[in-house]
Amino acid sequence: MTEDSNASMTRRGVMKGVGGLAAVSMSGVSIAEAQEVLGQEIPADPHTRDTYRAIVDAIVPRTPELEEELGGEHVPGGLDVELEKFLIWDFNHFQEIRLETLQTPVKTARSGGGPLGDLGGDNPLGDALGGLTETGDLGGGTPLDSVTELVDGLMAPELFQLDLDTISSGSELGALTDLVGLDAVDELTGLLEVEDLDEFGELLDFGAVDRLAIDFADAPIPDDAEGIAEFDLLVEGANEGTHQVIQNYPYANVFPLVFDIVAAEFLLRGENEDTPSPNPEFAGGGTFVRLSREDRLRCLWTIVDGGAIDRLDEILSPMLPTLGILKYVVMAVNGLHGFGYYTEWSGLGDTKTNTPNEREMQVDPSNVQSRNQTDYPGPSDGYAADWRHAVDGGFDDDWETAETPGPADPELPDEAADEAEEATGGDLL
Amino acid sequence: MKDPDVVVVGAGADGPVAAWKLARDHGVDVLLLEAGPFYGNEQWPEPHVDSGGTVSTDPDDLDGKLLDEQFTHREAEANDPTYGYLRVGPSNSARAPWFRNLHQNAFIWQVSAVGGTSTHYFSNHPRGYPTAFDDQPHWPDEVSYADMVPYHRLNEEITSTQQAPMTAREEVFIEGASQEKSGEYPLLEDLNVTETGWRPQPNAVEVPGKETSNGQPLDSDYEGSFSYDDGFRGDTLVGDHFQGSSTPVDAPVREKARKSSNIGYVPRALDTNDNPNQGNVAIRPNTYVTDIHTAEGAGNLEATGVEIRDTWSGATQTVEADTVVLAGGCIETPRLWLNSGLPDDGWVGKGLTTHWFDWVVGVYDDDTVADINPDRQHMDPYVGQNSAVRFDKPGVGGLEDIGMSPGLVSFADYLFSEAGYSFDTPTDPDEPWDTRGYIVGKELKRRMANYRQTKAILVLTDDMPRQENGVSLDDTFSDEHGPVPKVRYEPGEEDDERRDELARIAANIHKNAGASHVHRAEWPPLLLHMQSSMRIGKVLDFAGEAKNVNRLFVADHSALANGVGGPNPTNSGQANALRIADHIGDRYF
Repeated sequence: MTEDSNASMTRRGVMKGVGGLAAVSMSGVSIAEAQEVLGQEIPADPHTRDTYRAIVDAIVPRTPELEEELGGEHVPGGLDVELEKFLIWDFNHFQEIRLETLQTPVKTARSGGGPLGDLGGDNPLGDALGGLTETGDLGGGTPLDSVTELVDGLMAPELFQLDLDTISSGSELGALTDLVGLDAVDELTGLLEVEDLDEFGELLDFGAVDRLAIDFADAPIPDDAEGIAEFDLLVEGANEGTHQVIQNYPYANVFPLVFDIVAAEFLLRGENEDTPSPNPEFAGGGTFVRLSREDRLRCLWTIVDGGAIDRLDEILSPMLPTLGILKYVVMAVNGLHGFGYYTEWSGLGDTKTNTPNEREMQVDPSNVQSRNQTDYPGPSDGYAADWRHAVDGGFDDDWETAETPGPADPELPDEAADEAEEATGGDLL
Repeated sequence: MKDPDVVVVGAGADGPVAAWKLARDHGVDVLLLEAGPFYGNEQWPEPHVDSGGTVSTDPDDLDGKLLDEQFTHREAEANDPTYGYLRVGPSNSARAPWFRNLHQNAFIWQVSAVGGTSTHYFSNHPRGYPTAFDDQPHWPDEVSYADMVPYHRLNEEITSTQQAPMTAREEVFIEGASQEKSGEYPLLEDLNVTETGWRPQPNAVEVPGKETSNGQPLDSDYEGSFSYDDGFRGDTLVGDHFQGSSTPVDAPVREKARKSSNIGYVPRALDTNDNPNQGNVAIRPNTYVTDIHTAEGAGNLEATGVEIRDTWSGATQTVEADTVVLAGGCIETPRLWLNSGLPDDGWVGKGLTTHWFDWVVGVYDDDTVADINPDRQHMDPYVGQNSAVRFDKPGVGGLEDIGMSPGLVSFADYLFSEAGYSFDTPTDPDEPWDTRGYIVGKELKRRMANYRQTKAILVLTDDMPRQENGVSLDDTFSDEHGPVPKVRYEPGEEDDERRDELARIAANIHKNAGASHVHRAEWPPLLLHMQSSMRIGKVLDFAGEAKNVNRLFVADHSALANGVGGPNPTNSGQANALRIADHIGDRYF
């Protein structure tokens, strides 16, 4: 690897290295060339793809066992229409970051306060931001003697930079150690509420991912930069690398790593009900995809209702701009099956992950896979149906008001009445 | 319009209401600003790919057939929160939606567009319960229910509000609810609800098929066209209002059956420009307001205008006005207030209510439905209006019978829960539901295979405003308009109790009607019926004017002091906007 493999470097130093490395060494293209593919459909890396496939498989699986009961049309599931692409597209397009909202923090003499609150030692941003102060020690180890702050309404670029590297760090645990800014793996024990760090390390596997690096495509960002930020996303694996330049923060690629970490803790705590096993169908995935279908969902639920993100707070915080959204994310990985699988989405064919305006129906909305499974005929201009009114003559309205001290006067309280009746054709109640 | 008398920020359900009233009855010139797109307007023929025009003042700009092209009635294309055309985000569909930081298992469902969230509402227009206005200490004495009623009456006329039609699906609800059938509740025949019972929805949709294309009644034998051009008038009984609803197809915008505010009020607001005796209304979409300008007044701050940002070009501009009216909704109104640095005495953005929804699902055998509806085999959740019959219990909340298309049904019935996965979630045998929580896997596919015999009942709880719930500025994320809103909603213990009571009533209605299986989704917070985050009595005076800033009014649902008891809030929000517009006119024009 290149000079950025020094695990003792501060995060800032690492990120400066990533900017050049990602563009040149992996894909052999310049940032400018990479931008040409912006917005085009590029296959997700195997870890990302197979993690979401494992979720789709748990919620809308293939069900050959329903053929006899309900008919052959009920056999295919979400994977047959590539629903994982729906989840990946939605997560990678749900937040826009703009360059003018970013600013390197400034050193202040004041302790605490500011939009980020007290950036003291127990704030995970403290270390990241500390490396950017004039007095900060790029070699690490020097305690902060001042406070860094942002101007109200601006964000630190470091929130959106990530380099999780298992190769240069030696292991998954080593990568997390470096990311948190610790000197040694042993220190992780203090952060993780696990009794046996070695066992946690054995359980933790990022599958096909050796390294995930996210940086601004044009890092370092000029002070006067404006517009939608573009991100350089690099995923390295044993046999292949994926390099993309995309708009919006690539959350979809980060969440699966979080799920692997949560899954390892889930297994360590013995919350699984089934024995995990390698899953060749999702070979690119990590710890998470080894769980049984139901255990995958139980594992995700520990994020919402099991205290997982509280226990894992310090180790997960450096991986995401904000950890708090993870409960929302678990809501979404479930709910998006409704917006994707059970709508007409799969009928968009090969346009289904294009930009919204370029998506086109290629299958009649009444005939997509899920519609055949629900017997919904699709949108219509109207329906012939028998109907009736339940209250003959309409509702009563006898509340006394200043204008209507007795039973309601059918005349309206102002002259809008005539116009209203003419224009709407509405019947009086 | 260079010098409007009033700037209204937000053209959602309420902004056009206030704009119309100010122009029509008070001779005021109004600039109505909207952050999202303007559908069905010739100035913006391709609102998602091209910036189009700047402002619309001519009612002839409105084009119903253009609206038909844009509202495709497809679910994902309309309702997906990231890419759907009915989302909260810039008109440019290549861009991401506007981010709100939500740290919980919850979902915010709003729309940025002229018409706002009313572009996808079910158009239910019950009045708030009288007790919510008259019997609760946090609503000022100056506004009694009797003061609201004239404005309800006006709003109901403007929006064609009337009783909804009963179709096959509603007959099943009535079977389970009505004391004249298998249920126990009386029919309520008064618009002002003080007792417990069931009734048709008062809703803002015209009568079904009041004129059909072949002169025959709209019934199951009807084989004619549903096109306005062929002579069809009125509602076409499609249950896809959440996709935008532009039926009857080919109808002019103002003749669409469902009166979302872009149908019911926007054409009228633009009509004022053709009347020399009235004020003028200009509507400018694609315009985000980023700051409220103020000056030191006599003893109080005074609003003097706003700073705007074009969402396509990024160009900014100051608009001066005599009075500023905020109508951006329960999230954006307080966010703008806070980003403008206006005074906050503790209730700005707080007290958010959302009817602490829940969702109780019944699955029915074919024979059961056939017994209730001898002429039909299915309930067909997509036929008829999305919600046409309801139950009311003042002091507790209400219920609504719901039918929707399958993508929305799968999400709402089975994929949105706070109870965990049903395979691990025990059900108390003393409760009237058979299962609860997420339904996934083989069981999900089984349930969805029975979509046409499935119906849900929405629980709308009278949740109390609590100061810890609401909107603040996020300290992590900013977008081009400043720090993003951070939103929080957790129910109180008594809210939970009222919700449980309503869920039991809903389950028993299903069981009375003969449901073979009853499922309680046990929703987490769904922030849709948002109200009361800028409460009259706390942040605002009884006229809707800010206590701490003169000439600054709030005329959207955030001004309501509570959840109006549980009934759908649109009628109350719009009636209140009409009322506040009169106070603005009386005070300053």
